[in-house]
Amino acid sequence: MANARLLVKRLKSVRNIRKITRTMELIATSRFKRAMDRATEAAEYTRKISEIVGDLGKADLKFSHPLLQDRPEPKKSVLLVLTSNRGLCGGYNGAVLRNTLKHIETLKADGIDYSLEVSGKRGIKFLNFQKVDIDESYTHFEDSPTFAEVDELGSRYVDDFIAGRIDRLDVSYTSFQSISRQQAVVESILPLSSLGGDEGESGGSGVDYEFQPSPQEILEEIVPAAFRAKLFKCFLDAAVSEQIARMVAMKGATENADEMAGDLKQQYNRARQAGITSELAEIIGGAAALE
Amino acid sequence: MADLRLVLVTPEKTLFDREVDSVSVPMFDGSAGIYPHRAPLVGRLGVGELTLRSGGGTESYFIEGGFVQVKGPQVSVLTSAAVPAGELTVEEGTAALEEAKAEKGSTDAAIESREQKLDRARKMITIARRN
Repeated sequence: MANARLLVKRLKSVRNIRKITRTMELIATSRFKRAMDRATEAAEYTRKISEIVGDLGKADLKFSHPLLQDRPEPKKSVLLVLTSNRGLCGGYNGAVLRNTLKHIETLKADGIDYSLEVSGKRGIKFLNFQKVDIDESYTHFEDSPTFAEVDELGSRYVDDFIAGRIDRLDVSYTSFQSISRQQAVVESILPLSSLGGDEGESGGSGVDYEFQPSPQEILEEIVPAAFRAKLFKCFLDAAVSEQIARMVAMKGATENADEMAGDLKQQYNRARQAGITSELAEIIGGAAALE
Repeated sequence: MADLRLVLVTPEKTLFDREVDSVSVPMFDGSAGIYPHRAPLVGRLGVGELTLRSGGGTESYFIEGGFVQVKGPQVSVLTSAAVPAGELTVEEGTAALEEAKAEKGSTDAAIESREQKLDRARKMITIARRN
């Protein structure tokens, strides 16, 4: 019967783990919904910005702004890596960090000096373990980064870029494409390739606008705003993707625990039955010997 | 005559999306009123108070820069941060003012940013006092 007792113990612990993973799945689901709502709200802002940019396009002026200028020979770049603070989210951090290491290799090969900024405890730990030097690390971006927090970074990048201290800004993060598809990417967001998101400059409704103070000055303001919105979107995407990754990982874990519990239960029942059978056989054998 | 629609968006949230009678926005060089049938406009905003009137009542928000776009009946205000004026407190403003005052700048950019912060803090206090 020792075997059966062992099985009961294991069964209990598997069930406990199942409870935990199930709860984590539910938490991730609710967090995901919240993060998703925020991302949708932010998309509205980006959409409006690109609409205004489209309107500016009608007012025949040259799109020239320091943030838009491509620098032919980048010397100094910043690589910002967005990972999560917590683990247990499947391949989420792994994918981002794999991409990051690959990108660092190419930067080295191209002879571009880089400084590495990492957000999230997971990424910091991994890169420390890999003996990669981190120049700046952040752990305060939880699953709902605020615009003010992100803006602090954004303003610094804008200043550094305009002053020529950096020539490029790459962000390594998980981009959210749809609920069933997220991809770890390294994206270059400075210099800005396009204004106002991926939808392109679709705006421009043919309305004859009055510009105050002037189209040029509005452009000067809107380019940094577009950049900040883009950077913020990276953070939001990362947050949403993290919750989805955790949701999926925990769902898998719960299912595995269910399966394991079923197997253990079956094994336990068999062991118990075998015990009863052998006991019966002993009694019958004993009775037969007495006759 | 509710043919004016105000949409107030920040990167985090759409704070306001309703029909209003009129809006007054803080432009970069002073306040500007927007009534129905205004000509299309794209403008830069400064720091200050956005006031809207609808159905006899008024509401106001403290906003920090951004843009305004008027297109037909729709007024879109894009700003990096907006706080309902009722939620501003004098203490908060004073703290921001003290912080800005403590800042020392030697370069042109630093002095300019200090001036902007001072201006922002003073406006916060003004609005908070009024409530």
